[in-house]
Amino acid sequence: MGALLDIQGLVKAFDDLRAVDGVSLRVEPGERVAIVGPNGAGKTTTLLMILGAIEADEGTVHIAGHPLPAQRHHAMRSIGFSAGYLPLPDRLKVTEALRFFADLSEVDDPGDAVDTVIQELDIDHLRDKLCMHLSSGQRTLVGIAKATLHRPRLLVLDEPTASLDPDIAFRVRDRLAQINDQHHTALLLTSHDMREVETLTERVVFLRAGQIIADGSPAAIAAAGGHDSLEELFLAEASRHRAVQL
Amino acid sequence: MWFLLLALPVVDVVLFSSIGVAYGDGDGSVRILFTGILLFHLVWQLTLAGSLGFLEEVWSRNLLNLLTTPVREIEYAVALGVVGLARTVVAVALISIVGGGLYAIDPTSAGWVLAPAAAVLLLFGWAVALLVVGLTLQYGDSAEVFSWGTLVLLMPLSGVFYPVEALPGGLQAIARVIPLTRAFDATRAGIEGGGVAEGDLVIAAIGSLVAVALAFGFVLRQMRRFRQLGWVTRVT
Repeated sequence: MGALLDIQGLVKAFDDLRAVDGVSLRVEPGERVAIVGPNGAGKTTTLLMILGAIEADEGTVHIAGHPLPAQRHHAMRSIGFSAGYLPLPDRLKVTEALRFFADLSEVDDPGDAVDTVIQELDIDHLRDKLCMHLSSGQRTLVGIAKATLHRPRLLVLDEPTASLDPDIAFRVRDRLAQINDQHHTALLLTSHDMREVETLTERVVFLRAGQIIADGSPAAIAAAGGHDSLEELFLAEASRHRAVQL
Repeated sequence: MWFLLLALPVVDVVLFSSIGVAYGDGDGSVRILFTGILLFHLVWQLTLAGSLGFLEEVWSRNLLNLLTTPVREIEYAVALGVVGLARTVVAVALISIVGGGLYAIDPTSAGWVLAPAAAVLLLFGWAVALLVVGLTLQYGDSAEVFSWGTLVLLMPLSGVFYPVEALPGGLQAIARVIPLTRAFDATRAGIEGGGVAEGDLVIAAIGSLVAVALAFGFVLRQMRRFRQLGWVTRVT
């Protein structure tokens, strides 16, 4: 059986800058994978190519066997995307907003799907709240609910806990682990929080200047780089990156 | 958007019908001005519904949300068109009611020519909306000026209220290549009892179909460039 996500030789250049330079990656069903690297390493560009929002100059992307961009419509049924910078419709209540996105995601029974994700994410108290009145932590949870309405096989998260209080971030991580555990939903996330990466994922793909420089368990790639923890490796890479830029 | 849908049609019908009453030489002038504004709102409402509807996605940073759902581009375009048509129906109904109630104007006085003329105007309005959508993909918020600007330029140049000959010489040549001009000419001929200018309507229809085809091709090209050049990061 093929990988849930299979990207091969992805290249994306903007003018003279090769933002992504030959990235290949396979994610299996139920796997928890983090893409990490310093700012400008190519994480978000890689995610946006996986989502079909940016077209690769070279290379291929298959989601659940569907090639992008030719079968984007089918591919998007298998994928959910959440990021702190994605808006929610301010003037709709949470249930109305979720219902709207359930319709867009072609869910068979939108009402039931909305009730289910609200229960799973424990956000019943937000049902009738206008999206414009949600706190950033609440918006993150509703954003994840939105991304999981159609029971995607792969959940893509761009910095899911950025700018959240530690207790809210803990709750978000807990819910993501629960979704992964209960539904065998694969997680693919980017994060600058290395402790979060160590807690939530079992595999780390480390990017530098658009290329994969390490791929393995958090402990293994930290050790391979001669560091005690992923955070130390990240700091060393970030400082190297700054030195190159200066 | 609600002001444009509900208030502007009323303001326009009162403004132009009153000018007709004050300075016209009988019912004919009022009917020409009224029918002109009635028909121009077909273009106006459809264009604004399409272009501002898409701009709204950019203003609210919602494009990436849409791009990561299974929604196809054509489905989105059809949805925008349906909303635009609904807005057009509301505006035209409002104009007809106000015109009939306050000025005793029969909105159908031009006769059956109104039907093909309206179809031409809707087609052309959709072409303008698609053009603005294509520009918005590239220029983001800044494309708003095209949404309004195109309509502001079209109104005097397409002879909504007067024949092309009333324009200064240099502008007449431009006016004659705009399909809307012939649709408005044909409608005025109907109001003045001069028979139906079928030739004008056919040329206007062909011109509008070509405009829609060109605009559709432009949007497809811009959508490809949007993905290839990573423009999504400008609107997220």
